[in-house]
Amino acid sequence: MSTTIQAPTPAPGGTTPRPGAGPVHRNRLIASSRPWLLLAPALAVLAVLLLWPLVRVFLFSLQDYGLRQIVSGEPNWIGLANYGEILADPTLWGVVLPNTVGFAVLAVTFTVALGTGVAVLMASLGGFWRTVVGSAIMIAWAMPAVTGTYVWVWIFDADRGIFNQTLQALGLQDEPVNWFTNRYSFYAIVLLNVVHHGFPFVAITILAGLLGVPKEMLEAAEMDGAGPWRRFFQVIVPNLRQVFSVVIILSTIWDFKVFAQVYLMPGGNGTNREALNLGVWSYVESFGQNRYGFGSAIAVLLTVLLLIITVIYVRTMLKEDEL
Amino acid sequence: MSTFTPAPTTTPAASGAVPPESPEAPRAIPASRRSARKTRSAAGKAVLVVLLLAFTLFPAFWMLSSAFDAKAGAGGQTLLPREWSLENFQYVLTDGGFDVYLRNSAIVAVVTVLASAVLALLASVAVARFRFRFRTSMLLMILVVQMVPLEALVIPLFVQVRDLQLLNTLLGLMVVYVALSLPFGIWMLRGFVAAVPVELEEAAYLDGASWGRMFRSVLLPLVMPGLVATSVFSFITAWNEFIFAMTLLGGASENYTVAIGLKQFFGEHTNEWGYIMAASTIITVPVMIFFVIVQRRLSSGLVAGAVKG
Repeated sequence: MSTTIQAPTPAPGGTTPRPGAGPVHRNRLIASSRPWLLLAPALAVLAVLLLWPLVRVFLFSLQDYGLRQIVSGEPNWIGLANYGEILADPTLWGVVLPNTVGFAVLAVTFTVALGTGVAVLMASLGGFWRTVVGSAIMIAWAMPAVTGTYVWVWIFDADRGIFNQTLQALGLQDEPVNWFTNRYSFYAIVLLNVVHHGFPFVAITILAGLLGVPKEMLEAAEMDGAGPWRRFFQVIVPNLRQVFSVVIILSTIWDFKVFAQVYLMPGGNGTNREALNLGVWSYVESFGQNRYGFGSAIAVLLTVLLLIITVIYVRTMLKEDEL
Repeated sequence: MSTFTPAPTTTPAASGAVPPESPEAPRAIPASRRSARKTRSAAGKAVLVVLLLAFTLFPAFWMLSSAFDAKAGAGGQTLLPREWSLENFQYVLTDGGFDVYLRNSAIVAVVTVLASAVLALLASVAVARFRFRFRTSMLLMILVVQMVPLEALVIPLFVQVRDLQLLNTLLGLMVVYVALSLPFGIWMLRGFVAAVPVELEEAAYLDGASWGRMFRSVLLPLVMPGLVATSVFSFITAWNEFIFAMTLLGGASENYTVAIGLKQFFGEHTNEWGYIMAASTIITVPVMIFFVIVQRRLSSGLVAGAVKG
């Protein structure tokens, strides 16, 4: 087979019929099964380790699934009782949802606003300073969530953190304040952490978009007497609508599921019930209380919430370029 | 599933293509006033840049400063260490157990990178180069699966890994990480594969190459930069990941990865901040180095000029 010159296997559009079938027929069979052969290993891994667990978390959520069920593997169906309990729980409405949704809204707003500002600033800088700023924000971006969170905790540490020490040195504070016990100051620190880690992606993405806006358009707008603000909101923003929507939706998805940034803070691992968000609540109920069914139901709710956002994301993307 | 899944629209700012400064102010204004205004806006910009740099770099700076300060935990710290020393690093790497954690993390990350690179490359060739039934739905699935929160996967995967008797082993963690980094890897490599001109492949076939030969000698070298970039992302995923490491390795501290090894320095009443910051530095530095590499790779023009005869 290797001695004869083969008909070229069609590369794209693999299954298009070609003239002079005969011996080519077998090749075509190989060609049409080739994508599946290539996909098979990845699909197997995804099916076993992502899709099946997703089905399973839903099945768990319909059960009173505890340690006993984990050990025996016996199902213990209770229908939608877990969901009923969640929806009736004052923790959900008073603490968890505000902490999740309110936080995500604030975090997205600040991240996108700061990122856009930095992108505009970078676009107006010369080559050298743009590289300096670009490298600096890359450092903020590269900081792992775990170590980044610990650094913020250290900065705001009650007894020896630099924040409290500075306030005391300035005479703004007599006694050290523990910023982690109050729900709002707790989430203010999470916000600082998440925005600091998240704005570089927004800045880099929007900068790429900014550099793509035709200069003629901006010049024409300036000729017509548009000031910098008007040029920004009426020329640049409409041009970058696609980029903005992608950035906003991705940030929303990420900020809805912050986990390590909350869990690793003092009291964030469930000891301070005021600081729970959906992800942490699900984890704490499952692995802290061994109520895996209840925790699964919370996780399903979080997933559904994210799926809705994802659907919006996919539709925006699809408009941009065909898959 | 990392925190930095860039949108496909991201074309990292090629630092080469720098357009000139914003258009000059209208010419009618007298020269003196114009230059005064220019100075003022330049000063404003300088202030903004300084503030931005301070905000951006402070945590990393503070981490380093505390890591090198022998008395970091003692309080009354100044901006620069009062007593420079490597004591914290020494402790962390010996008694702190980070020599073991670093080795564990390296093993997990390398295996994850290799396995997911092979799987993602094969799959991305399939979706980028072939048209077949269910292709679009497959791509959608890959995109959607990335958005699933880890908190939803951790419960069933914990049960699954437990059933396989792989709890507290590095193998269980590796398998999970391969799955976590696959969707993003496929999604990103697909773009790199699609960017290789089909004409190059056809030329290889005309020269008598089989599909396998073409894959090895034409496609693979051209996709290499993309493969490096994807590998770096899966490395970072495996290196930074926290929730699965904590859940799956809970009981076996000799198998801890760096991300969860840190928590031992937190005491009931007092935290060893010098050690924590030294360990954090050790964890963060490789990630930052890799980040710089990937940024360059991504912005380098892929096969610019490959087709031109």
